[in-house]
Amino acid sequence: MRVIDRTDWLSAMTELHADGFSYLDVLTGLDRGSDVEVLARVVDVSAGRLRAEVVTTLVPRVDPHLSSVAAGYPAAVWHERETAEMFDIVFDGHPDPRPLLRRTDLGAAPLLKSTVLAARVVTPWPGTSEGESGRRSTRRPQPLGVPANWLHGGDA
Amino acid sequence: MTTPHGVIALIPESCTSCMICVRECPSWCITLDSHAEEVSEPGARRPRTVSVLDHFAIDYGLCMYCGICVDVCPFDALEWAPDVDYSARDRAGLVHDTSRLAGWIPHE
Repeated sequence: MRVIDRTDWLSAMTELHADGFSYLDVLTGLDRGSDVEVLARVVDVSAGRLRAEVVTTLVPRVDPHLSSVAAGYPAAVWHERETAEMFDIVFDGHPDPRPLLRRTDLGAAPLLKSTVLAARVVTPWPGTSEGESGRRSTRRPQPLGVPANWLHGGDA
Repeated sequence: MTTPHGVIALIPESCTSCMICVRECPSWCITLDSHAEEVSEPGARRPRTVSVLDHFAIDYGLCMYCGICVDVCPFDALEWAPDVDYSARDRAGLVHDTSRLAGWIPHE
């Protein structure tokens, strides 16, 4: 795996393409807190030479811009559209930046860890019930990964 | 190694209604109800309070087969069973209650 500076993303991908890695296997994002890590796996599928390379770059949340690689890799059009709407990233120079799967005017990017899923708010957590009868703990159990003030019937 | 998943079976006699599986489940697909009963044992000074399982259900319409419940159960009351054929005609048919979950345990 190679970590590439964000400003060199397009040139590095262009270089890989020229090097024979012309097949884009996947391009996606990973929430790393203050950055979104964009990851791409490219494959050289020429006869007798199957090899793959994984490259990543960090895109800061405060300035979520990255160059689109769709000109060299047409398959990146869908991958970048999806990554854009799931992680709130803008792919500069993308030929067709329409949302792919979701309405971006409704709520935040679903694959960011800071985004709480709507179903978590409207569904009562099954763990709330006092299963351990007789032994009431003073601390009410809370579901993991859901802010307390988001909870159905929460205290906030 | 990747293995196909089957179904998660419940061994009701081993379940102590501790709620750990319910609270660890990322899909929130397990529900559990229990009540306390006092059991007097000969020779004991005071009656013991035990949890009695009233209802246990897994909603297979929500379950993502991560197996966390099987891993975290301190009493091995949940286990993988090989069955895969439990499709249903409606949503409610995917909710397996205590007796259905107990029926998945392979019998010799």
